[in-house]
Amino acid sequence: MADSMLEFRLHGRGGQGIVVAAAIFAEAVFLDGRYARAFSLFGAERRGAPVTAFIRAGENPLMPRSRIYNPDYVVVFDPTLSDETLLSGLKEGGILMVNIAEDNLDNLPGDALAGNRFRVYTVDATDIARKHGLTVAGFPVVNTVMLGAMARVSGIASLDNLVDSIKKRITASLEANISAVNEGSERVREVGGLVR
Amino acid sequence: MPYELISGCQAAAIAVQRAGVDLVAAYPITPQTAIVETLANFEAKGELGGEFVSVESEYSALSCCNGAVAAGARVFTATSSHGLAYMHEMIQWCSGARFPIVMVNVNRAVGAPWVLDPDQGDSLSQRDTGWMQIYCANAQEVFDTVLQAFMLSEELLLPSLVVFDGFYISHTYEPVDVPEVEKVREFIGPPQFQAQVEPGVQANLHGLSKGETQLQLVRRRHEDMLRAPQVFTAINEKFYRVFGRSYKTVDATIPEGSKTAFLAAGSTAETVKWFLPELKGCGLIQLRMFRPFPGDELGRIVEEQGLERLIIVDRNCSTGTGGYFAQEVRAALYGLTVRPVIQDLLLAGGIDLTKDILAGAAEKSPGDKLVDQEWGVELK
Repeated sequence: MADSMLEFRLHGRGGQGIVVAAAIFAEAVFLDGRYARAFSLFGAERRGAPVTAFIRAGENPLMPRSRIYNPDYVVVFDPTLSDETLLSGLKEGGILMVNIAEDNLDNLPGDALAGNRFRVYTVDATDIARKHGLTVAGFPVVNTVMLGAMARVSGIASLDNLVDSIKKRITASLEANISAVNEGSERVREVGGLVR
Repeated sequence: MPYELISGCQAAAIAVQRAGVDLVAAYPITPQTAIVETLANFEAKGELGGEFVSVESEYSALSCCNGAVAAGARVFTATSSHGLAYMHEMIQWCSGARFPIVMVNVNRAVGAPWVLDPDQGDSLSQRDTGWMQIYCANAQEVFDTVLQAFMLSEELLLPSLVVFDGFYISHTYEPVDVPEVEKVREFIGPPQFQAQVEPGVQANLHGLSKGETQLQLVRRRHEDMLRAPQVFTAINEKFYRVFGRSYKTVDATIPEGSKTAFLAAGSTAETVKWFLPELKGCGLIQLRMFRPFPGDELGRIVEEQGLERLIIVDRNCSTGTGGYFAQEVRAALYGLTVRPVIQDLLLAGGIDLTKDILAGAAEKSPGDKLVDQEWGVELK
């Protein structure tokens, strides 16, 4: 039963939009025909502080209501967060997705590439967000880029459903956000391989 | 079916809008803030159908509701933690006055220190104040229970507290069947209870009385609340015919041959239920109604299933005694000929309930104390 459920853990900082990204992704997964839930953990929310969000997706409407300790996916919106937190509990063979430039692999979190434990994907979401003018107070808002990449790699949410969900939840810069989703999906790369 | 992916807080607020209220008076506090925000948005768009009163405190919120309900209005408020504690005096005034108010409390630990995690002590500490209390395990239950609470309260002339966990439900986005406003309003109908005051007529409500009068009033209130399980069942039979869902005061999922059951109220019930296939020999009892305490129904389940051991998930602690739910279960089952062993799994502070904690508790002997640190629970 537990095997049919996929668990995602998202790491970012307050202001990067990971809480709303988790809800958008869960909704797109639900529209694609699976049950999904998204939730987040935070203290008193503030810009720049570490924020963790979770997504569960599966065939059964019943799901546990605990945090996710052994995710199938770890998605890092901000690679400057501490290494230990990021890779903790990621399943053997699990997927790590990082917002980082393709030629900056030395700065991947932890020993991400050591021992072929994980499949590692990169997408330069900061660059893409800036290119589409997605910034708040000078800081890039990378969430829609990361959503496009997550949809492509996981294959459990279509880009059309992502865009439908984004339209409900994000009112500002809609066109730029839709372009960001598409570019995130196109530019995500598996380290040492091709995207599935 | 019109499913939407919404949070537990949004589910509560949309249920209030669907039910149709004359007045909402509320003050925001984490993790309940999204309820107040969502209701304020309805008002801003002209879709609330009633007045939204921004107040300066929780004490004022409930006072405002008390005044409106005395005039025959259907009212709603919501709070958490310190907000509920601040209402404590008005909470009792409200039930004494037999005001059928519906309030949501989103569980959050009460300080000191400041904690945002979903300890249940805020609502459980109000158990003796004359309010009915119902605990929800997911956002659909939140939506449906808020609707049903208006009917239950208005039938019994007693206030209802609908309770769910902070973050695990309040901030979880999940699919919820949200029926159209017309369908819900046709089902619930307008409030039927009598106003205690009328415009232009001078009245003095709840004036100085003697102890003998209070005894009569307390007894009547107590007897009326004891009817709640029966009224709740009748409401759910009707609810099922219209919406295809119904709930029990206590629900049991006991796999064949299991002699141990976890008892949980709120979101932890879903965690236990999910892990049951990995917890051999264990079942789940989900407690929805807490006031009045459905002791007869619980006793019937324990006897019918021949349960020998109950592990009570208490994400709370009554200092000096232990978990509230364990206390209540012990008292309720004292009259059984064969009583199960009752063990208290104390997760006060609102800490996360994991498979390791559940498996660790299940593996213990019936005589052992269940101490959470032994299973490596991360205490922050």
